[in-house]
Amino acid sequence: MKTMADKNYYNTILSQVFSPCGKYLIVGDIYGYISVFNLQKVVCPESSTNAEDRKAKNVFMVQADIQINSLLAADNLIVGTVGEILAFNWQHIINSADAKAIWRIEIPNTKDNFEKVDINCMVQAQSGDIYVGCGDNSIRIVNIESGSIVNTLNGHKDYVHSIANIGNELISGGEDGLVNMWDIRSKTLVHSIEPHKNVKLQRPELGNWIGAVALNDDWLLCGGGPRLSLWHFRSMNVSTVFPLDDKGIHVAEFFEDSILAGGRSNYFYNLNLDGTVVSEIQTSSVSIFSAIHQEEPYKALCLSGSSPHIDICNNYNYRDQILTVSI
Amino acid sequence: MVKDGAQSKKKPNKNSDFDASGDIYKKAVSFEEKEATQRSAEKDAGLYLQTCSDIRQLLADIYKEKCEEKENKSLIMLKRKEACLKIVLLKKLNRLEKVRMSMAREQLNQEKQKLDSINLQFQNLLYELAHLCSEFEKCRQYKSKDEDIQLISTEEFLKVAPEEVVGKFTEVQTADNNLRHELHLAMLEHELQQRIKLSKLCDTLDNEKRLLGKDIVNRKEKLDALGPTLSNIIEATKPLQELLGLPLEKTRNEHKMASLLPDELYLLYYNGEGYKVIDSRIAIEIVGDQEEAQQFNASRLNIVEDSDADSLEEPEPMEGKKRRHRKASLIDKMEEKKRKILEPHPLSIEITMDVPNGGPQLKIKFLYRVQLKIITVTSNVEIPSKITGNCAKEVLSGEGILNEIFDGDTGKESPNSKNQYQLDKVNLGTFESLIQKIGFAYGWAHKLCGLEFMKKPGCKLTNKVSPSYVESVLRSLRSRLDARYALAEQLQQLEQNFIPMIPSEVEHPKTATSVLTKFAPMSFARFCTETPNSVKLVEEEMASANDLFYSATVIRHKSILSASIVIKNTYPIRAPLFLLTVKSNGDHSATNSDDIRDMERALNLGWQTDEKSAGWLLAVQLRYLCSFFDVYLESVESSSITASGATPTQSTVFFRSVCARNRRRPFKYRKVGNGVFTQY
Repeated sequence: MKTMADKNYYNTILSQVFSPCGKYLIVGDIYGYISVFNLQKVVCPESSTNAEDRKAKNVFMVQADIQINSLLAADNLIVGTVGEILAFNWQHIINSADAKAIWRIEIPNTKDNFEKVDINCMVQAQSGDIYVGCGDNSIRIVNIESGSIVNTLNGHKDYVHSIANIGNELISGGEDGLVNMWDIRSKTLVHSIEPHKNVKLQRPELGNWIGAVALNDDWLLCGGGPRLSLWHFRSMNVSTVFPLDDKGIHVAEFFEDSILAGGRSNYFYNLNLDGTVVSEIQTSSVSIFSAIHQEEPYKALCLSGSSPHIDICNNYNYRDQILTVSI
Repeated sequence: MVKDGAQSKKKPNKNSDFDASGDIYKKAVSFEEKEATQRSAEKDAGLYLQTCSDIRQLLADIYKEKCEEKENKSLIMLKRKEACLKIVLLKKLNRLEKVRMSMAREQLNQEKQKLDSINLQFQNLLYELAHLCSEFEKCRQYKSKDEDIQLISTEEFLKVAPEEVVGKFTEVQTADNNLRHELHLAMLEHELQQRIKLSKLCDTLDNEKRLLGKDIVNRKEKLDALGPTLSNIIEATKPLQELLGLPLEKTRNEHKMASLLPDELYLLYYNGEGYKVIDSRIAIEIVGDQEEAQQFNASRLNIVEDSDADSLEEPEPMEGKKRRHRKASLIDKMEEKKRKILEPHPLSIEITMDVPNGGPQLKIKFLYRVQLKIITVTSNVEIPSKITGNCAKEVLSGEGILNEIFDGDTGKESPNSKNQYQLDKVNLGTFESLIQKIGFAYGWAHKLCGLEFMKKPGCKLTNKVSPSYVESVLRSLRSRLDARYALAEQLQQLEQNFIPMIPSEVEHPKTATSVLTKFAPMSFARFCTETPNSVKLVEEEMASANDLFYSATVIRHKSILSASIVIKNTYPIRAPLFLLTVKSNGDHSATNSDDIRDMERALNLGWQTDEKSAGWLLAVQLRYLCSFFDVYLESVESSSITASGATPTQSTVFFRSVCARNRRRPFKYRKVGNGVFTQY
């Protein structure tokens, strides 16, 4: 039991997702466990938040000691582990301690047959297909209905950290330091930038890797080893370099008119596009690997990373509560 | 006629007078009597009445004659004669009547006598009848002795008795009294025979018994004679025993001593002796003076009786003067009380455990504090000469070995809640302050001795599986001692900056460029100040003041890795915890670097250890630490552009320096070829 406490202490939560109904928060950790929290009990001020409510409602293991890299809320809960994409029934994962996958797709490693492929990130396009950023440097397009890999986008020289999609635009950031822009229709690489080559952005001691990319109609946001930076999407010029105190960016996202960003830092940031800081949220984790938020039915921003704790912010300004995963 | 009669009468009379020459009177009397009987009384009565009336006639005639003037004298004379004759007849009649009367009287008397005798006879008969009746009654009420004799039932008798006796009684229940009586007699006879038989048997048995008794007495005498002989023999063999080194006498003495132990320690002794069967390397000894113990036990009985009276006396308020007067003696009294309350039973138990092949010897002494009613434990370790290092010695200290045999059981608090009050009463301070003096009060020691106390609220110790059995405690002690010795041997080498040899069956990276340059003990206070995130660790109960702390330094070129090592008392079940800090461009630790955090995770978790791992666990972890430091430096530097631009020579083999979104480093060792590091 005591060793479990130690194990817990070293847990890291890589991915989070809200259930489609918005009532549950699902998180996946590096030991292969998925924990389900009841948001209503955690967030709602009127309901008594005793210690019991703050514990996970359900915990189940996907695969022992295989880290859960990514989660995606679709018709089912899509889980990206190492070498496999699995799907779980929502009802099962909320209630059953030994939930079983309803289907699974194995992702072959094109580069190396010995190592399995990390499913680093998943994005669902309007078409329903899922774009998967993989550990073998490729982006896979997976059709859920047929369970087959429809297409593969090759263009990175190292594994893919993050992808983002708006309309027909798809961008991806990789360990190789590249930010690639793809055309979904033609499945071709349109353009690519290398932020680490920009003197204002580069941080050689941290490396070239791009940990997070984001996209809206006009702007492109990226960061990682290089500083977090805002690029004008059409001209591909650096518009803003964010002066953050970080040792690597793992999360970056457009949120309304501002930006949410985090990584290896003591704080999670809410920023204006011009670089001014709206709010700094203290975090429990060494690095933040996942930040998700929703407005309805329960307004919450959930931050998780290299700790067993999940920081919950109701108003995006400061940490309200801390949940703890225990396995 | 009367004349005739009278004449006739006279004649016999005259005759008889004449016959009876002498006694004429008697003859006259007997004649008269005859005459009286022969003559009828009625006729005489008639004659009497006739005579009377004749006389009257005569008299009347005489009178008439006399009255006439011419008086006839002759006639008168005649008449007179006649009347006189008549009177004589009257006289005769009277006489007869008189005789007749006396005769009748005589007859009556005779009859009366006869009647009386008959009456008497009747009376006698009546009396006899009554007597007989009473005799009958007596007979009826007579109780025969045979009624008191318990007889077997008739049916049984008929079955048991010989045929010739039973023969005529086969048709039983006949109403014939005689037959029934005979049956009864027969039964009595049968009973008598049986009893005679039994009494004979009884006599023979009695005789036998007497004989046996005599025999027993004889043999007893022989046995009694044997005792002194035997003790003589034992006495005689003593030199031989000593010469051969046999502990026979000693064991016997120990057992005698054991009976003087307080119950609590006796239980420990008893169970411990039994446990020897499982672990022969354990020795249990009773320490102390036998006579002292005897005296102590005797005096203790008295004290128990007196104590009530004592406590009543104590709170009595004293007068000021008296107090001053008695102050000095009061202090003495207080000292005496302090001494008394801490006084142990003169006998104590010493358990000795040793580790074979020149390992340390652990001596645990259990003392029973009579007043406090607790067991205190002092310990002593004979450290083998080959262990010279300071931390190695420290690890083997008795206190260190016994600390937290079970989680949270530090022995620094008395389990008996009454103790604090007892100590306060005599100003002895807290129990913890007395530990140096009297020893630790470990929970397991009390359980060994069968003492159960109320559990403290929130006490973690009791939540665990309660090790109420001697075996589990002694086994824990043994494995703790073994583990500590194994740890000490490793520390001994580590203090010389040398990572101990690791058995080949344990997988571990064999080559490392980084080297251990320093290994030293560390205090808990220093741990708290120097280790990043120590507050959190203590909070999470991953480290506590009861643990052992060490610091280690690993160096490769100019990179320095310092590690704080927490070794739990449960080593090796719980692997030592390594908390790392890398000094290179500032401090990197698990609080600010995922890489270090990953390294710690790989180092601290996933050890499937049991008691046998004690000998190598720490060494293996340190080996891993050196290799991981290599991996860390090489992977970090290969994925970032070092300031110098020069990549260090790669000594470790890994395929990818990072993978996945958390940029995981290859901190998993796989035994492929010379060893490969991978992420998963």
